Amino acid sequence: MKNSEVELNRRSASISKKLIFVLVAASFIGFLDATYLTAKYYFGGPIPCAILNGCEEVVTSKYSAIFGVPVSLLGTAYYLIVLVLSLAYLDLRNYRLVRFIARFTVLGLLASIWLLFAQIFILHSLCFYCVISAVSSSVLFVSGLFIIKSGINRS
Amino acid sequence: MSEENNLQNLTSKERYDLKKAETELVSKQHRRRLTRRVLFWTFALLIIVGAVLGMVKLSGTPPSNQTALLTDAVSSSDWSRGNQEAKVIFVEYSDFQCPACSAYYPLLKKLNEDFGGKIKFIYRHFPLRQIHKNAELAAHAAEAAGRQGKFWQMHDMLFENQNNWSGKSGSDAEDTFASYARSLNLDVERFNKDLDLKDIKEKVENDYQSGVRSQVNATPTFFLNGAKFENPRSYEELRSRIEQEVGVN
Repeated sequence: MKNSEVELNRRSASISKKLIFVLVAASFIGFLDATYLTAKYYFGGPIPCAILNGCEEVVTSKYSAIFGVPVSLLGTAYYLIVLVLSLAYLDLRNYRLVRFIARFTVLGLLASIWLLFAQIFILHSLCFYCVISAVSSSVLFVSGLFIIKSGINRS
Repeated sequence: MSEENNLQNLTSKERYDLKKAETELVSKQHRRRLTRRVLFWTFALLIIVGAVLGMVKLSGTPPSNQTALLTDAVSSSDWSRGNQEAKVIFVEYSDFQCPACSAYYPLLKKLNEDFGGKIKFIYRHFPLRQIHKNAELAAHAAEAAGRQGKFWQMHDMLFENQNNWSGKSGSDAEDTFASYARSLNLDVERFNKDLDLKDIKEKVENDYQSGVRSQVNATPTFFLNGAKFENPRSYEELRSRIEQEVGVN
């Protein structure tokens, strides 16, 4: 038991600080983006239709909410969880935290793939804010891969 | 090894002092670490709360602050309802297939009920052909119904049923519009023929071009007595803006 704790600490030490900052930065950008869309959903009134953005198509489509909960709100919660856990890792240096984040980012990646798919093949229009979110969640996922990898290399 | 020897050489008083100093140092370090942690989390919390407030504020601000003016004056060729003699004139550039326009439709309808005696409402076409494939056809349908005196009835019907026709192919949408014409007791044969009328197409195109001249680039765009005003976020906001204008005139 004691040994595995030591091992976890050792793995934790092998994770580059830069990687954690990438996690913090990407989740913060995703958080800003999703919060903006959520605020728009609740307080912004209808988004006007314009030739040059597909957002009103996407944000008003039936894919934009699950059981009445806007997807952007789920996104806000997701990025906030990743952000707070990354900060908690900076504070506590517990390998379990960062391993959980790495696994958790799969969820964000899958959600992003589905939403991008719906935008491109079903709605035929892309929303700028959703693309930003897809990029952030991909960056999170890739960082997660590196974290797992540096943990495994160490053991 | 040598350290242990040193320790053994100390008197008990010295040993006590050393131990005390050590504990003090540890607790000092502990306190410092705690302070750093508290600062870290306070800072993080402030940033997160600040970000949320910033985004909420940002979501409420209109994208452009410049006020566009209505270049083409209201004329008898425009579709209007409300009080024809009213001093307050409300012009809407709209697209029957635009979801935001249909979201505003009940607000404007209520506005017409509440202020109908004090405002003249104008509807101008601004079909966003690039993104709404049936928008132009819908505009033609409203004009064709207008030829039989039922422009506004068709206008209401198109917005109320937007979901039923916006995804359809052109010919299916045409059939749907014909069924609306039937339910409005229009002469359906004439309605279908009028859909292709050059005058109607020109009318819609002229409306569109007048919108372009007035810097309309999204729908719906509203002009109140010739000045563009940002899309209200709620009926209350719309009503207070109108009340202000009615009060002045």
